Amino acid sequence: MSKIDPVTLEIMTEGLISVVREMRATVFRTARSVAIYEARDFSCGLFDATGQVVAQSEDIGSHVVPLPWSVEQSLKELGDDLAPGDAILMNDPYRGGTHLNDVTIIYPVFHDGKLVFFPAVREHWADVGGSVPGSMSGTANEIYQEGIRIPPLKIMEGGKINNAVMELLLSNMRVRDERLGDFNSGMAACKTAERRLRELISRHGLDPLLASVNLNLKRSEKRMREKISSLPDGDVYYEDYLETFGPNGLEPLLLPLRLTIAGDKLTADFTGVSPQVPAPVNSTLAVTAASVFITLKSALDPKHALNHGSFRPVTVIAPEGTIVNVTHPAPAGSHGEIRKRVIACMLGALSQICPELISADIHRTSFHNLIGGIDPKTGREFVHYEWSAGGNGGFKGADGPSVMAAIDWGDLSTAQPSEVLESRFPLHIEWTRQGIDSGGAGYNRGGLGMRRSIMLTRGSASYSLLSDGAVMPPFGVLTGQSGARVESFIIRDGKRIDFPTPGKVGGFPMKEGDRLILQSAGGGGYGDPLTREIHRITEDLRAGLISMQAATEIYGVVLKDDNTIDQDASVEHRERLLKARPTLQAAIADFDCYKTVGYSRKRICRVNPADAQRFGQTIDDCIEILGPTGTPLRAWIEVDESVEAGQLPLDTLGLGVLGAEEGDDVKVRSLLIPVVT
Amino acid sequence: MLWVGIDTGGTFTDLVAYNSETRKLISLKTPSTPDDHALGVITAVKKTGIELPKITGFSHGTTVATNTALEHKGAKLGIITTRGYRDVLVIGRGNRTQLYDVTAVRPAGIVQREHIMEVDERSTVDGLIHKHLNEDQVASACTYFLSEGIEAVAVCFLHAYANSRHEQRAAEIVQKLMPEVHVCTSNEILPEYREFERFSTTALNAFVAPRTGRYLTQLADKLADTGLTTPVRVMASNGGTWPAVRMANRPVNALLSGPAGGVIAASVLSEALNIHDIITYDMGGTSTDACMIRNGTYGMNPEGMVGWYPNRVPQIDINTVGAGGGSIAYLEAGNFLNVGPQSAGAEPGPACYGKGGTQPTVTDANVVLGRFLPSDALGGSIFIDVKAAQSAIAHIAKKLKLSTEAMAEGIIQLAVIQMTSSVKEISVMRGIDPRDFTLVAFGGAGPMHGALIAEELGMARVVIPPLPGNFSAFGLLVADTRHDVAKTEIMQLEFSDISDIRRALKPLENEARERLRADGFDNDQIRIEASLDMRYVGQSFELNIMLPAAFTDTEELMEAFHRAYEQRYSHRDRGSGEVVAFRVTGFGTVDRPPLPSVLGGNDLAGSVRDKRQVIFNGVSKETTVYWREDLPLNTIFEGPAIIEELGSTTVVPPNFNVSMDRTGSLILDRKTTK
Repeated sequence: MSKIDPVTLEIMTEGLISVVREMRATVFRTARSVAIYEARDFSCGLFDATGQVVAQSEDIGSHVVPLPWSVEQSLKELGDDLAPGDAILMNDPYRGGTHLNDVTIIYPVFHDGKLVFFPAVREHWADVGGSVPGSMSGTANEIYQEGIRIPPLKIMEGGKINNAVMELLLSNMRVRDERLGDFNSGMAACKTAERRLRELISRHGLDPLLASVNLNLKRSEKRMREKISSLPDGDVYYEDYLETFGPNGLEPLLLPLRLTIAGDKLTADFTGVSPQVPAPVNSTLAVTAASVFITLKSALDPKHALNHGSFRPVTVIAPEGTIVNVTHPAPAGSHGEIRKRVIACMLGALSQICPELISADIHRTSFHNLIGGIDPKTGREFVHYEWSAGGNGGFKGADGPSVMAAIDWGDLSTAQPSEVLESRFPLHIEWTRQGIDSGGAGYNRGGLGMRRSIMLTRGSASYSLLSDGAVMPPFGVLTGQSGARVESFIIRDGKRIDFPTPGKVGGFPMKEGDRLILQSAGGGGYGDPLTREIHRITEDLRAGLISMQAATEIYGVVLKDDNTIDQDASVEHRERLLKARPTLQAAIADFDCYKTVGYSRKRICRVNPADAQRFGQTIDDCIEILGPTGTPLRAWIEVDESVEAGQLPLDTLGLGVLGAEEGDDVKVRSLLIPVVT
Repeated sequence: MLWVGIDTGGTFTDLVAYNSETRKLISLKTPSTPDDHALGVITAVKKTGIELPKITGFSHGTTVATNTALEHKGAKLGIITTRGYRDVLVIGRGNRTQLYDVTAVRPAGIVQREHIMEVDERSTVDGLIHKHLNEDQVASACTYFLSEGIEAVAVCFLHAYANSRHEQRAAEIVQKLMPEVHVCTSNEILPEYREFERFSTTALNAFVAPRTGRYLTQLADKLADTGLTTPVRVMASNGGTWPAVRMANRPVNALLSGPAGGVIAASVLSEALNIHDIITYDMGGTSTDACMIRNGTYGMNPEGMVGWYPNRVPQIDINTVGAGGGSIAYLEAGNFLNVGPQSAGAEPGPACYGKGGTQPTVTDANVVLGRFLPSDALGGSIFIDVKAAQSAIAHIAKKLKLSTEAMAEGIIQLAVIQMTSSVKEISVMRGIDPRDFTLVAFGGAGPMHGALIAEELGMARVVIPPLPGNFSAFGLLVADTRHDVAKTEIMQLEFSDISDIRRALKPLENEARERLRADGFDNDQIRIEASLDMRYVGQSFELNIMLPAAFTDTEELMEAFHRAYEQRYSHRDRGSGEVVAFRVTGFGTVDRPPLPSVLGGNDLAGSVRDKRQVIFNGVSKETTVYWREDLPLNTIFEGPAIIEELGSTTVVPPNFNVSMDRTGSLILDRKTTK
């Protein structure tokens, strides 16, 4: 490789990034669906011949970071057979994809007969067939209900589009013209990229260009290795859950994560994770690994452009046939849920060793709401896709931002204008606001989620929700509290209709006049809410972000008759609350701390009946246990007379999360779920 | 006739004046007076010796509104909005402010949430009243605002672009109960759909209105007291001047008041030069503005932003990057070389100015290379400390194991790359090839870098206009008045005919004419243009299609749209088209001074000032330094050359030829195409 001076390096890097930006501009301006042009739910990336990310711009991490798996799989299947004028189309989650709606065009660019780059475009197509409009059903039990699967195939060969395949695909999707428009916009972007890459190659030469790519990858790798080295060597563990429902209600699916730091290398191991299930909570290895990468990048090395070098020091272990590495024929639509939960586990684990670098849990799910049907006024099919962002977790420097796309969402717009929705769909958006009290309480509060009321103004429609975090709320860290969980229900004739499986709805029939209320999740709190400065609580009250009830009960302030805060009384009251927190003594469990429920296992903790009564917990309640790290360990209480009063037996994993040893005091609190108004 | 244009920037107040009797163009620079910019303006006029009563046209470019918005120094703001929509300005579009960073925050807002009051009222998308306005609630919002000391109120109702009755009524109530306070409605500021964008633009207007209004009123008063009889006109973001009194109420239209002047000057120059496709490149100390003028017409930006807030009033498509002559070069961890956006500013300024700056800037790099060594820099007020520049550059060169000279060229190259990205943004990103354009480079540092930018982009020709340092002020002299009136209305062409389109345009035209007449224009001075924002049904992005004066059917229109679409995206679609917005632009044409013509010197030899070593591409060459005023006309000579004038230096690299024409413009042509 030729030696490249730093200036030329920057010039070529800038050139490559601007190729991607131009691709992005092309898609943006030519696409036809609201999801793409109002929400920018698409990404462009430039990859080298081995499938490593070379350049991207304001794209969506959840699209771009998993793309190398798609490129790799396509190369594996079609690599020997690629020629100039070919383009690959794919969406198959089992073969390098994410979920079926993320349709990807991979476009090989050749130079002197050699494959040199892959520009690629991943767009969220608003519908790819399947059982419900919008394709994302909360109740799918096989992938066939989630739409049509496209294995990596040549949609264009020798410059000619394969019309038979195209026709077959479009015939299996709703609103076909819009889909064709989406496809054309992706192809236009790839062609633009090819033209620009040729210009760059002819200007700088291929070798220096490839050398600059490698240098950039190496620089990012070096930075990440330095960051990892600065963390203490050893293991750190956290666990969280995804949600399914059985005959007796919630059947949580265990997602355990062990992070091993050894020198400048890091391993994320999901061994022990729930097996895949016939429900939409599974996703792919590409998605899982990408989520590990995205968290590391966002916590350890946030200031630099993203490329694949950062990920070289990282190994991800995700056993096949599990919810984090799905295989045929289980549904694979839950990339948004697995991604957010893997990020949560990463944050929970890192909070034990570098709390100053992370935030509390971030709105927990991607909250895919779909309303679709035929508008009686126009006779045309419509699909409204809504994925309102929630609150972000509080962090050391500040409160978590409210209603803001999460770290895996790039520059995605998440709040769509009512005026646009009402002009396109038979919907009336009654109100859109921040959900009061939805942000997790903390020294730094979690951000608030978004609450919206959508009324169907004419005809009938079908409502689907593919989400998670409708039972288990986003967790706080360092004693911070949970944010609100996602919520959705219907109001019909003044009566509230709840869905039997919260967060997962497949084609609920909506009637004219029905109101759909949506609440996205809040962010977790950071630090103890009893330590939040009084003046910040006053500000929150004035701005209407928290209720007076939350101020008094959770933040522990005392209000005077005129509803202002009584400073002195508050200090005393806070001390009292602090002292009154229930404490148990950690002990070593001589039993299995997990219990099998449905497909998976959940953590239990056995306590003496007297203690259970003392804490006001009933059997099968979920609690949070807090130790010196302030990272909450969630467990379901079981009453056991054989446990000594005042003791809390835990396994080594549990003690590790808490940072506690046998004999240490640990705090116990109910899993507080904010009530949002 | 005596025209005066004054452009007030952060550091300098630039004046250009033209007297049609003496045919003399005067220009000067004085320091700005940020505490009260009016002082600087009056000082500038007085310095010229012009008698104020004799002035027949007075135009002003100001950054007061811009700085009020950017520095968050606006009014204490109250908003009255539709029940259920209190959080539109808080939530925005729910985008992340920093990608891949768990510590991202949303910037502080221009309004406190407790000062956003909801009232019962609602219109539908068709402009029908769904729920009547509760006037009592508006009144009690006012009572609350008064108790909170609110200084400006924006009334922002849903679908107000389709029906403004409620907003108007609410504004009347506010005006009555809070007579001292500025009030504006979203319909009058931006009658277009998408509530966040419309509310945000309206809120920005209210935010900057009291301060900007005060400034403009006081300026006009002070000038009148000093004898000015002609009304003060202010450059608007749309490229036209507005009477100060109108701008005082809608100052969100003045956020590009500064850079707009340069674009207008360039478009007038392009006419004189008979070059119709140009890209302007206005490089100052901290930032660089670029704009495309195509077929003699500058483009408009439908996506303007002020920090986190959309500002969607009609505005010239000017792209700004944070790189200029004062931009600081530095190394990040891992030895990443970076230039800007931090700038040495006016104080301490680049190291070479000897005012205490030690960090290497783009200007220092030019000094090290021998390109910028003016004998009477910036009018003799500043001397150049070559050693200080060298040691600043050497400091980072060592870390990269480069020579000081190589480092200096590297810094300039990287700055050029960044500045070209601003040009690409308005050309390549719009599907337009900059190589078909001429670069017009001005601003303090533009003439030094124009040729490098052109080369980077493959452009063949660069024009350095006369008075490059005061060119924006010259634009103020020649700008017409311009009013843009628009309305969102979706109309499918399949189901409409030409009379529907005329019906939709008529009230807009009336409005434009009315505004121009109010601004003092007679019918024969008024020119009307109409255009439509069109797209394929189901598509998102609109293209603006000029409406020919004598169009006869909708098929013609559809064809014009197909063509425009094809030009931009290299394919046409089979789909049917729809109009999304109707736009009318009214121009009030002013008497404008002609471009001055220059006589030039007798021969090239007579213009030679100096010879010195200048480095280009790592090679040091003896380079002649010319004095611009003394250059003979239409005499082509070869680069490398340095052309100096009062306040500006033009760099002609070795692969360019250069000549000066009768407008006094320097024309740089690339010798070969790479």
